[in-house]
Amino acid sequence: MNEDTQTVTPETLMQLRKNQPRFEGLESGHRACLGCGEALAARLVTEAAGPDVMIANATGCLEIFTTPWPESAWRLPWMHSLFENTGAIAAGMEAALKAQGKPTKVLAFAGDGGTFDIGFQSLSGMLERGHNVLFVCFDNEAYMNTGIQSSSSTPHAAMTTTSPPGSARMGKQNLKKDILSIVAAHHIPYAATASVAYPSDLRKKIRRAMEIEGPTFIQIHSPCPLGWGHDGADSIKVARLAVQTGLFPVIELESREMIGSMPIRNPKPVTDYLVLQQRFRHLFQQGDVRAIEELAHIQALADHNIKHFKLRGEGMDAQDSDGADTVCRGGMRWA
Amino acid sequence: MESKLTRGGFAYPGTTLVYKTGSWRIQRPVHTHRNAPCHSACPAGEDPQAYLALLDEDKPREAWELLVSINPLPAITGRVCPHPCESVCNRGQYDEPLAIHSIERYLGDQALAKNWAYPVSPAAENAPHVAVVGAGPAGLASAYHLIRHGLQVTVFDELSEAGGTLFTIPDYRLPREIVRKEIERLLDTGISFKSRHKLGREIHLPELQQEYAAVFLAPGVMKSNEWSVDGVTPYDLHEGLHLLKQWSDVASLPAMKSAAVIGGGNTAIDIARILNRNGVDTHIVIHSSLPDPDKPAADDMRAIPREIEQALEEGVQIHDHHGVKRLILRGEKLTGIEILRMRKLPDEEGRLHRVAFEGTESILHVDQVIPAIGQVVDAAGMETLLDGKSYFSVDDWGQIEGKENIYAGGDAVEGNGGTVTEAIGNGRIAAEAIAAKLRQQQLPTINKSEPVHFNSLNMEYFEPSSRVEQVILSVEERTCETEIEGGISGLQAAHEANRCFACGNCLRCDNCWTLCPDSAVLKTNEVTFDGSFYVFDYDYCKGCGLCASECPTGYISMVNE
Ligand SMILES: Cc1cc2nc3c(=O)[nH]c(=O)nc-3n(C[C@H](O)[C@H](O)[C@H](O)COP(=O)(O)OP(=O)(O)OC[C@H]3O[C@@H](n4cnc5c(N)ncnc54)[C@H](O)[C@@H]3O)c2cc1C
Ligand SMILES: Cc1ncc(C[n+]2csc(CCOP(=O)(O)OP(=O)(O)O)c2C)c(N)n1
Ligand code: SF4
Ligand code: SF4
Ligand code: SF4
Repeated sequence: MNEDTQTVTPETLMQLRKNQPRFEGLESGHRACLGCGEALAARLVTEAAGPDVMIANATGCLEIFTTPWPESAWRLPWMHSLFENTGAIAAGMEAALKAQGKPTKVLAFAGDGGTFDIGFQSLSGMLERGHNVLFVCFDNEAYMNTGIQSSSSTPHAAMTTTSPPGSARMGKQNLKKDILSIVAAHHIPYAATASVAYPSDLRKKIRRAMEIEGPTFIQIHSPCPLGWGHDGADSIKVARLAVQTGLFPVIELESREMIGSMPIRNPKPVTDYLVLQQRFRHLFQQGDVRAIEELAHIQALADHNIKHFKLRGEGMDAQDSDGADTVCRGGMRWA
Repeated sequence: MESKLTRGGFAYPGTTLVYKTGSWRIQRPVHTHRNAPCHSACPAGEDPQAYLALLDEDKPREAWELLVSINPLPAITGRVCPHPCESVCNRGQYDEPLAIHSIERYLGDQALAKNWAYPVSPAAENAPHVAVVGAGPAGLASAYHLIRHGLQVTVFDELSEAGGTLFTIPDYRLPREIVRKEIERLLDTGISFKSRHKLGREIHLPELQQEYAAVFLAPGVMKSNEWSVDGVTPYDLHEGLHLLKQWSDVASLPAMKSAAVIGGGNTAIDIARILNRNGVDTHIVIHSSLPDPDKPAADDMRAIPREIEQALEEGVQIHDHHGVKRLILRGEKLTGIEILRMRKLPDEEGRLHRVAFEGTESILHVDQVIPAIGQVVDAAGMETLLDGKSYFSVDDWGQIEGKENIYAGGDAVEGNGGTVTEAIGNGRIAAEAIAAKLRQQQLPTINKSEPVHFNSLNMEYFEPSSRVEQVILSVEERTCETEIEGGISGLQAAHEANRCFACGNCLRCDNCWTLCPDSAVLKTNEVTFDGSFYVFDYDYCKGCGLCASECPTGYISMVNE
């Protein structure tokens, strides 16, 4: 059967859309690119957190593609902050709601540029003062909205418009900042990483953070087909490989201590992950010894993560069955 | 509210819905039901994927009803079918194939134990009437499907009981009470059965053609091929199939100490195992190969590999790649046979033929030689249709070439592999053709589309899980009567059904619904027009292809706009 025989009318579709058995915080019609990991991450977050929340959203793709004035894709109270003051705006919203005696939780949304670099100071202040805010960083590893500039989240050796590979260097020289440790160092109760490739795990973490009274932080690895140079159809595959290689550790910290991780049963070689993305294509240049060295370096970073965060799992599963999304008929596995 | 805002932007919730991002799309996702490999491989035409799905939803009775809408004899085939479905099961490339035959048997046995009624109703009295000759699996399956299609049927058999060659398969593999029970229930669906009616004796083809709207012939292969070594045979030659029938009728065998069975089919293996159980030193001499999973099956013995394996375990000695050169007779009494090695080799035109190797002769000291080298149709009463040939030549629908309203199926047709499931498949297809013809309808199209390949599934969403194995009696425990292989429990069946990948079909796993970045996949409560539980909202789908990549079963494909 194919689309020619589809008999669903626009009215029934709209009816169906209104009656979906989940809370839709982010509606269709937004202008994200095809296969955008950030758009998916934002929907998953609001699905688990909503409806009783308010959002402060830093400048960046998420802000731009969801609010092409006079339209909005949000079904939640949402406000655009500046790039640099999301933490401060969220803190103010929280204080105002508290004064009014309202239980509504405040979420702060920002890209990695808005979290790791430009918005960092206000984030740090918000965490230090202990506001009851869940800060979500949509980590697509560069300033995407302005055309793929390097951020302190951009991984080592990745090509961006401000870290082009050439005779002087092989893409970005510095390492990806360990934002989770920095955030956790503010003595906050909960900080975690998650990936769009593992939606159940992601939503569980959002719900966990929602229950906590105080500042919490979740960093979500969100592939950007445009900036990373992969097929939009492969967004989940790429995100999954980042986890399976050990390059993006999926972990949870409570009061600075690691309390959980998504184990990797059979780590995949980092080249499986890198080869899918144009931002690493210079690492596959034949006959360039620097490329060989960089590949070995990235593999060493992954091996180090696996050792440092004790990610190596045991047992017959390729992936931890609790966090990994093993299908079963009827969709019952999705948390 | 809007008017109070003097500065800054303001927008109502969810208003991006006015903007149809579907216009960006250059390709669209579509649900494409594709045949699972198990379905394409089943000679009876079963779709195991579909009934495994029902079993996984804890609906065993619905699963059985769906199963018997194609194959009405699952308790039988679940025991004796060589299950080609399992050889091609996609799960075999991941860990171990689904135990489809164990599930089939489980469902068949449940129906017998719980007396579930076949989902058919008897035909109207004025419905056209079809004659079926032969009450083996081919004839019975055709009769059942004719009833399903609302026609009246009378089945004729020369024997006193319906079942045909199923009763020759020994009890340790297929207990006769199972055959009796399943067939009795099947006949109760409204099939009229006339025993002791032999075509060419009590009934004749011209009358059948006159009195019935159509005729389906399923006489099996009842005449054994002639066997001798250069025209010589021992005076007390017993033929394999005849001995097996004698054993199944009266449980006795001629006295002998040692025997060489010639042939490599199921008959050869079964008679060898029975002789062996009766204390006879038993050899099988066969010019083809023992099955080897690592080698192409082209020159393999025809018997089911599992049966060959069990025969070897039990102590039957198989001399593969050997032929008989000479009988060693003392007077007319056999004292041994001389065998020698042979191989299939290409001749000058590249055609394969057997070559015997001089200098490899050896003697088997046996007092009986038992040929089991196959049978052909007993032409009596059907000479005009066979035209001197050993088997019927039929088209895709089982119609005998050039004969209006006469169909044939089962072992009696040319090119058939000689299995129960093929016989059942032939019966079903001919019944469909007959029903379409009598109603002056078009023949349904035969779906020959490529089954879903392993590479189009997404293995990230499955976990290893071990296959259920049936309990098998040890060699010491095996007798001629007790069934060697046991059934599986309801829990085991549920476990196994849960292992199915649902190749090419909607698993209702929610992947597309969960992962679409554009919320362009909508979930439905009821099953949709295409058999899934989701619809694509093409107003917003941008055509990224993510849902297709992450669909675990290969059910979503991307097509160009
Ligand atoms: C020893 C042995 C073991 C086997 N093991 C297996 C196995 O493990 N798995 C498997 O799949 N297959 C097995 N087979 C093959 C299987 O039994 C046959 O392929 C199957 O029974 C064929 O079905 P059929 O309906 O074509 O013919 P049959 O089952 O042979 O039935 C033909 C019927 O037609 C009747 N008949 C014949 N001529 C006339 C006539 N002129 N008038 C009226 N009635 C007539 C006969 O009495 C008989 O009842 C085995 C066969 C043998 C002999
Ligand atoms: C103070 C300030 N500097 C620069 C900009 C321009 N600007 C808008 S969006 C953006 C990039 C955002 O990057 P990131 O936070 O990583 O989010 P992404 O777009 O990648 O999701 C920049 C640099 C700005 N709006 N404000
Ligand atoms: S640029 Fe990247 S993050 Fe921005 S909308 Fe496109 S895919 Fe999403
Ligand atoms: S996994 Fe299931 S659907 Fe796929 S071939 Fe095996 S039994 Fe058939
Ligand atoms: S994931 Fe969504 S947007 Fe992408 S092709 Fe599928 S339905 Fe369309």
